[in-house]
Amino acid sequence: MGRIIGIDLGTTYSAVAIVEAGSPKILENSEGIRTTPSVVAISKSGERLVGVLAKRQAVTNPKNTIFSVKRLIGRKYNDPIVGKDKAWLPYEMKESSTGSVEVKMGDKFYKPEEISAMVLQKLKADAEARLGEKVDEAVITVPAYFDDSQRQATKNAGEIAGLKVRRILPEPTAAALAYGLNKKKNEKIVVYDFGGGTFDVSVLEVGDDTIEVRATGGDTHLGGDDIDKIIIEYLVKQYKAQDGIDLSKDSLALQRLKEAAERTKHELSASFEAEVNLPYITSDASGPKHFLIKITRAKLEELTKNLIDRSIELLDKTINESGIAKGSIDEIVLVGGQTRMPAIADAVKKYFGKEPHKGVNPDEVVALGASIQAEILSAKDEGRRPEGEVKDVLLLDVTPLSLGIETLGGVFTRIIEKNTTIPTSKSQTFSTAADNQPGVEIHILQGEREMAADNKALGKFMLDGIPPAPRGIPQVEVSLDIDSNGILNVSAKDKASGKTQSVKITASTNMSKEEVERLKNEAAKFAEEDKKKRENAEIKIKADQLVFQAEQALKNGGDKVASDVKDAVLKKIENLRSIKDGIEFEKIKIATDELFTEMQKIGEAMYKKEEPKSEEKKEEAPEGNPAGENK
Amino acid sequence: MEDVKNDNSISEPKTELEKLTQERDEYLNGWKRAKADLMNFQRDEEKRITDLIRWGLKDIVQEMIPVLDNFELAVATLEKDGALEKGIQMIKLQLEDLLKKKGLEKISVEKGKPFDPNFHEAVGEIDSEFEEGIIAKEIEKGYSLNGKVLRPARVMISKAK
Repeated sequence: MGRIIGIDLGTTYSAVAIVEAGSPKILENSEGIRTTPSVVAISKSGERLVGVLAKRQAVTNPKNTIFSVKRLIGRKYNDPIVGKDKAWLPYEMKESSTGSVEVKMGDKFYKPEEISAMVLQKLKADAEARLGEKVDEAVITVPAYFDDSQRQATKNAGEIAGLKVRRILPEPTAAALAYGLNKKKNEKIVVYDFGGGTFDVSVLEVGDDTIEVRATGGDTHLGGDDIDKIIIEYLVKQYKAQDGIDLSKDSLALQRLKEAAERTKHELSASFEAEVNLPYITSDASGPKHFLIKITRAKLEELTKNLIDRSIELLDKTINESGIAKGSIDEIVLVGGQTRMPAIADAVKKYFGKEPHKGVNPDEVVALGASIQAEILSAKDEGRRPEGEVKDVLLLDVTPLSLGIETLGGVFTRIIEKNTTIPTSKSQTFSTAADNQPGVEIHILQGEREMAADNKALGKFMLDGIPPAPRGIPQVEVSLDIDSNGILNVSAKDKASGKTQSVKITASTNMSKEEVERLKNEAAKFAEEDKKKRENAEIKIKADQLVFQAEQALKNGGDKVASDVKDAVLKKIENLRSIKDGIEFEKIKIATDELFTEMQKIGEAMYKKEEPKSEEKKEEAPEGNPAGENK
Repeated sequence: MEDVKNDNSISEPKTELEKLTQERDEYLNGWKRAKADLMNFQRDEEKRITDLIRWGLKDIVQEMIPVLDNFELAVATLEKDGALEKGIQMIKLQLEDLLKKKGLEKISVEKGKPFDPNFHEAVGEIDSEFEEGIIAKEIEKGYSLNGKVLRPARVMISKAK
């Protein structure tokens, strides 16, 4: 049996989603785009086009390009709404023998469901291509106000396209599903859907095992496109005032303005000011003219205030009709790309005095919700739990705080970062800080602060018996393993001798939520200070290492190092040594850099000397440490 | 009104053994599923990363198309063969070359060829010497990135006579 897909069959755009690995995701169409225009056409050469291809030729083929057919589906020809839409839709319509609407495309009349079926067919074919398997069942969404005849017609469209329609799902219900609100028993939800061409409000109530639509409202001719139009009008007016040229007569300029208006609208959702920059917009007797107008978010809000206010009035009206008090609404969901506009989200928030849900992409939330319904249905078919809920059975925790060990200079080195899903294990290799160091102390800590001392100590142990070796040479692998019960196992292994020590810590997960929060807040509060401390610790470590390396280099160089070079390096070493344990970190840093520069002369001088002899001599390069050094 | 069933009614187990067996199956299946999910995810991720490398440039290149348009417009208005025109032309070429190396191609549009919505977008109709539905004029250049259309060429097509 094939997969069940979720389809948002929209007025202007449609989208397809499936649930994969427990989470819903959008399937891109064959053009690589996440939404498909709900447009069908018969081209002038007699070819049938669907989606973006149909849209591209719409302007020059208006009679044979069918869009917004969702406004007609399942309606009677004498329905006053059809009468209104007929006035502005450019294609021909007639009354069918059964009294419903038929639209003309090419030289044939089609039922709206046949047109929708062509869109669905493309969605189906593209989904099959993406998934690499057959798709023969679907959940399709419709507006909550669709009556039986409109739902039935939509279902028929699916069947014509070769899809078994498992359920016709109201769009607001799908949006609520996408936010997991179906699990919140007895809650009341308002869905505010401001799309490209339509505005819908729905009031839902979650029952024991149902989501019931309590009221619907809105305006089928209010949408984001109206906002684009307002911006274009404003820009044309501004330009006329500024340069005295009327762009509304220039179709190419208008085309460029239209795109710019849309871009500007999107930009103003993220920033407070946007620039509309269209060089060579037109020309007059004096030569080319450019278009450069700044528009602020405040200006856009002023221009669109009427539209937004109207949407809030409709929202209020619908809530009143539902018989549910405004105050007892538990959740608000924003749907439709236009709700990205901060002024809209703010207006809704102000109306309810409550933050609306808006985490899921508002253009995709309906399709995603439909795919969740599809998954619930296919799980039932297969006698299993729905994928999203499998996770509820198999609860996977995360570590609330980072885990790590103390390293040289009292620095906290994270091994398992916070928010890592458990069970997990991570290891890192460390080394010694001194020559012939016989053992290392592993001090395990938990927290987000940069310095070990500020974090919570979980335990410590020694790994002894490391064979004598210069600092930085031994390799000690420290492994942290957290099992599914949150028990932490820490082991340290000397790679040369194979000696291992370990400890089991159960306290790491015993921390209360409040304590975790407190530690996180503290980390945020001290972030700057901690960073400084850590940097200072690192400056000291570096100074220390460099003194050691410089001495090694001098020793290895022996007589080959010219005495003047040697004296200079020794002087710098002395200088650094005298201050490196102090607290004047800037000075330590400068002295370290100076020593580093001076040291390079040892090598340079040696190479110069050796050139004529061309004798091979291995330069004892300063050993870099694989990771941090252990205390 | 329409409703959604939240139910996941799975038959109630009878004996302890049945319960444990059912639980075991559920866990084992969950584990298998998780492993499979991980493997599938890894495979998808590999593909996604390959795509990302190829397509990662898409956003920035797409936003540069209007800049290319403006260069076209600038060159068109400048005096032919003037020093300024030559200079601008050279900068335009430099930018085009750079983008070409990243896979951006101009969509070729020929006057008198049939309109093809795979590569062209019709923005209007004009009278011309050609038959109806034939490309009469190119308004804005179209571009493809690594073979996929980023923006179709905007064209005027011939009106019916």
